[in-house]
Amino acid sequence: MQLFSHERMWRSHELKSRYDAVIIGAGVHGLATAYYLGKDHGLRDVALLEKSYLGAGNSGRNTAIVRANYRTAEGVAFYDASLKLYEEMSSELGWNVLLNQCGHLTLAHTDSAINGLRVRAETNRFLGVDSRIIGPDEIHKLVPTLDLSRRPRYPILAALYHPPGGIIRHDAVVWGYARACDRMGIEIHPFTEAVGIRMDGQSVSGVVTNRGEISTRVVANCTAGWASKVCQMVRVPLPIVTYPLQACVTEPLKPFLDKVIVSATLHVYVNQTDRGELVIGAEIDPYQSYSMKSTLPTLEQMATYTLELFPQLHGVKVLRQWAGICDMTPDFAPIISGVESLKGFYLDVGWGTYGFKAGPIAGRCLASLIATGETPKLIAPFSLSRFRQDRLVGEKAAAAVSH
Amino acid sequence: MAHPVDPSPPGHPGGASEGVCPITIFFDGKPISAQPGDTVASALYRCGVRIFSRSFKYHRPRGLLCGSGHCPNCLMTVDGIPNVRTCITRVHDGQKVRHQNATPSLENDWLSVSGFFSWLMPVGFYYKTFTHPLVWRGVEPLIRKVAGLGEVSPEPAADAGSESHPEHGSTGAGPAYAHIFWHTEVAVVGGGPAGLLAALQAARSGGRVVLIDDQPELGGHLRFQGKGRHSGEWVMPDGQDLSGLSGPDLARKMAEQVVKEPRIRVLQDSTCFGLYEGRLLGVLQKLAGGQRTANGSPSAGHSQALERLIYLRTQRLVVATGAYEALPLFENNDLPGVMLRSAAQRLAHLHGVQPGKRAVIVSEQADGGPVAADLKVAGVEIEAVIPRRELVSALGRKHIKGIRTTRGDLACDLLVLEGDRVPDAGLIAQAGGSLRWEEGQRAFLPGEMPPFVTVVGEAAGIQPNPEAPLPGPCSKKTFVCVCEDVTVKDLCDAVQEGFDHIQTLKRYSTVTMGPCQGRMCQLSSIAVCARQTGRAMEQTGTTTSRPPTLPISLGSLAGPRHHPVRRTPLHPCHEALGCTWMDMGDWKRPHHYPAPAAEPGASGHGATPAHTSTSHSHHLPTFVEAEYRAVRERVGIIDVSTLGRLDVRGKDAPKLLDKVYTNRLSDMKLGRVRHAALCDEAGILLDDGTVSRLAEDHYFITTSTGNIEFVQQWLEWWMAGAGWCVHVTNVTGGLAAVNVAGPKARETLAGLTGTSLETAAFPYMNCRQADVGGVPCLMLRIGFVGETGWELHFPAEYGEYLWDLVMKEGQPFGIGAFGVETQRLLRLEKKHVIVGVDTDATSNPMDADMAWVAKLDKEDFIGKAAILRFQARLATGQSERLVGFVMEDDSVPLDGSAVVHGGRPAGRVTSCRFSPSIGRGIGLAWIPSALAHAGRHFSIHVNGQLGQARVTFQPFYDPEGKRLRM
Repeated sequence: MQLFSHERMWRSHELKSRYDAVIIGAGVHGLATAYYLGKDHGLRDVALLEKSYLGAGNSGRNTAIVRANYRTAEGVAFYDASLKLYEEMSSELGWNVLLNQCGHLTLAHTDSAINGLRVRAETNRFLGVDSRIIGPDEIHKLVPTLDLSRRPRYPILAALYHPPGGIIRHDAVVWGYARACDRMGIEIHPFTEAVGIRMDGQSVSGVVTNRGEISTRVVANCTAGWASKVCQMVRVPLPIVTYPLQACVTEPLKPFLDKVIVSATLHVYVNQTDRGELVIGAEIDPYQSYSMKSTLPTLEQMATYTLELFPQLHGVKVLRQWAGICDMTPDFAPIISGVESLKGFYLDVGWGTYGFKAGPIAGRCLASLIATGETPKLIAPFSLSRFRQDRLVGEKAAAAVSH
Repeated sequence: MAHPVDPSPPGHPGGASEGVCPITIFFDGKPISAQPGDTVASALYRCGVRIFSRSFKYHRPRGLLCGSGHCPNCLMTVDGIPNVRTCITRVHDGQKVRHQNATPSLENDWLSVSGFFSWLMPVGFYYKTFTHPLVWRGVEPLIRKVAGLGEVSPEPAADAGSESHPEHGSTGAGPAYAHIFWHTEVAVVGGGPAGLLAALQAARSGGRVVLIDDQPELGGHLRFQGKGRHSGEWVMPDGQDLSGLSGPDLARKMAEQVVKEPRIRVLQDSTCFGLYEGRLLGVLQKLAGGQRTANGSPSAGHSQALERLIYLRTQRLVVATGAYEALPLFENNDLPGVMLRSAAQRLAHLHGVQPGKRAVIVSEQADGGPVAADLKVAGVEIEAVIPRRELVSALGRKHIKGIRTTRGDLACDLLVLEGDRVPDAGLIAQAGGSLRWEEGQRAFLPGEMPPFVTVVGEAAGIQPNPEAPLPGPCSKKTFVCVCEDVTVKDLCDAVQEGFDHIQTLKRYSTVTMGPCQGRMCQLSSIAVCARQTGRAMEQTGTTTSRPPTLPISLGSLAGPRHHPVRRTPLHPCHEALGCTWMDMGDWKRPHHYPAPAAEPGASGHGATPAHTSTSHSHHLPTFVEAEYRAVRERVGIIDVSTLGRLDVRGKDAPKLLDKVYTNRLSDMKLGRVRHAALCDEAGILLDDGTVSRLAEDHYFITTSTGNIEFVQQWLEWWMAGAGWCVHVTNVTGGLAAVNVAGPKARETLAGLTGTSLETAAFPYMNCRQADVGGVPCLMLRIGFVGETGWELHFPAEYGEYLWDLVMKEGQPFGIGAFGVETQRLLRLEKKHVIVGVDTDATSNPMDADMAWVAKLDKEDFIGKAAILRFQARLATGQSERLVGFVMEDDSVPLDGSAVVHGGRPAGRVTSCRFSPSIGRGIGLAWIPSALAHAGRHFSIHVNGQLGQARVTFQPFYDPEGKRLRM
């Protein structure tokens, strides 16, 4: 019985001198890509390179919210497919990723915000995603602890209710994928940093790491926070700017909140984990940086806005504060595609503050692109070339501070 | 039941014999008498409470362990605040203390049966089971219910923590939390002997010092140690020799010197919880005299803050945080009655409480060291002193009854442990300092430090910890982490499963993730990890120390509630008319005014915009109807003081505006007004407004509400480096503004000004500086609402005066005030696009049907290249277009409704209202450009049905704009 087994989740390996494919970044995106390369396409001679421990990057720093209630048709279809993969993940991997589809509420405090939410509700409904606008009475029934009075500076007028949205155990997703990859013979290499990428004319030919050199014909950049740095190695400029994003967690409480609450007006989002901690996230920092240091003003902001929503939490204490760094694109949509000028080089980057939700489907689509050379329809809108063709996706309204 | 010790040992402030002021606290409703100087835990301990909490996972009984606010064992709900460390919380009369996480009581907790099933809950059990989604859906709520510690009131209004409402004023209680900002040259964190010495030395060398100590009195561990680690030479910076004193005496003498020193500012009861960038320390100070009522708010009439967050910027930092004790590993090490030395000494010395009757001391010193002497003074019988390596397990079920040693069993009701001393290094790690494993002292000690940090005292180095064997990998009841009930076996299993890096081990087993933040368990978890992986301690390393170093409440972090409201100079006028307010950014604006009295009960209806209904009413709300009629048929007035206003002067002002705005503004004649828009480099519309030329080198610009700060920065950004002579001044706050519009606007204003308002003298899109009712005004003749009208900008201090004057002057003409909702309808009839409402972060002027704002023959401007590409793309039909539409049926879609094409959402309605002049719903919508031809039909999703709309590029009202020019 698995419960009493202590089999290793993933084994360590010597680095081989060549692989069919090398994936840089073993977070949820890199792992999903490797997993589907192996599962859907039988490509198993794959190395995943992780510069730190497994899950050290944004896969272990996000607030673990999943949802599909985006604004554009492209976004909704894509994130919905990802949510479906998350729904199947526990049974597929034989590993419980603790998905809790408790429901997700995006609050509106102004009438213009209501209109923005209505655009999303309408698009969602047409694409079969359960999402609708509800008023204060229904909000109160769903979240009785929320302050719906006139006391807050911006009283809550309505919300976009998205029942299938929820939370998941982010680390468990990483570990579950890692185990599944390992069982297929895919190699996971923690503490292996890519420091250079070799090119042979117009194609990639290898990766230089701190543990030695690998030759390969396929390199996928699945990093977050350092995506543009990795692309610098092959002189592929990305329209990406990088900002820190902070979050904090409180001491465990008895059940208080069983919905995900997001307020774009107040730049804050709150949920309660199965362990009882409240997880609170902020808006991205106001300045660009690669620093993962926490700041006090941001913590003050998170506390201030949380208390606007839940004033009774004033005595609840913050245990930890941390930061991740986010690669923002101009249209708040990701870049998943090959690169015209460099054969064998693939991108799954620009994930801003919404990468975790998309991990499974991004990995599956990228794997398909790598294995077949055909771009799956779901990721066709997200190519790097869209920035030259003025075909932006326009997900800003639903992606910015909307977790 | 333990008996109070009398007389109290030295060092006990306000000892039992002085008990003049009786204090009663309530524990689970039972009154308990306490003494001044007591903590909640010491008062409870004195009256016989031994189980203070139940553990997180197995609900094992837990007693006082550290006594110094480091471990999770004494967490209770105090005055409604959950998870309070009762061992460092002082008592006050009437305090309400409740136990947590146990049903029905701490003594008998039903969920303690989970301990019998611990074999079913090995490390990570929840990942390995319930993998079927349906099973998990059933189990998850149960897990949720059992998890968690303290409870919070579900009622938001029950307790807001602080005070006032921006609209309704203060409730009189005053804020519970305050924030303050300080600067200093030296900050010393820690008021133990090392910190006191460091502060005195720094002050003597001339620095201003802030000394931060988390205790009510200075002296650190000296306060509760008769003799001990402090024995040695103590010579003060002024030469005074204090060697040979007892701990409390030494503490008092040193504290006296510090308090006398004028350059030292002492913060007692203050915790430095984090070091942030820019040498910013977060310090939380508990303020004396602060008392909470039963629900945690400040008591009635109490105006002083309970807690104060100090943002302290310092040039130098001295870390004198000392060391704390961690729990040694042996079986049943979590049993009540197992106590770290610090807890036993505090109980005895500070509170006059006998910690037990018969104690075994675990110490490497044969006589049990100082703690043995302390216990004897407190009347505790010392059963035995044994070294750590001989201790096997604690015996007992709910409380310790004895211990098993390698040499046999011993009976006792108290086991006092010399725990491993761990330098308190949280701030060191946050400062960017490194920690290195020191095998000699068996501790992680500060390595390289940034130049502004000095580490002194036990934080820098400790007496060596004893080398003790680690329990075997099967120890199921040896708890590494008491917060999360993680045992040695759990850690060993996790390592075997591949979680062999300290960071993954932490995340998988949850060791160090509980309320103690790793204080009790970090060292031993590293030791277990190192042993299991065969790596050295140094190699195994530590987890990241993150702020806050001690848990800090959301209330303290948030501080006093401060959400500013911006009100226009005309606010009282709207208030007097009984308007319904709406928020627009920081501003309050009148959404509408009450409908005329002829229809009683109509006012207030639809007070806030409809959010959940699925379509607008086919008829206008009465209040809009009345306001609309006033503007279209007579004269209306609206407060537009929220518009951003910029005064741009200088000989290069025309150059700047030509570069930044898409319109050409350098060739404007004096006294002219132009509509202008701003784009970014990607051709995305950012803002629009009017530009008036007052002189060759002087422009007056309006921006949309809420965009003023951005536009100002945008102009300054593009000015920077150009070397141009331009000054951009934000004059928004200084000016009130009203728009007076309608067929009778001219008559209304004519009586107030000598300036001719006739079209010949003052044509459309012109401006004049004029005297209106004695007030100097800038009058812009523009037409946002589609009628002849003037926008008047004038000094804010005349706001109410001029509003009243215009209202009085307009009365014979039937003037009426109108609000934002009516203005939206009026402008929509003119098909005026509102940037940010009808456009979003991907909209460009070409697709938004605003091509006229971009002068593409202008040499260059921000966004020109992109706009040219957008123009070329228009022909390809590959984009979305913003078009006007008229509904073909009676429906009026809500803003945000979907445009449907080919059964899929293909666009969106940005604004839609019932138009009285057309008698149908009209609006603006983004649709595929293939559909964007005048007269073409498209579908809009309304109430589950598809409504038909017809595209139009013409304004819906007065398409030729004749009324504006009349």
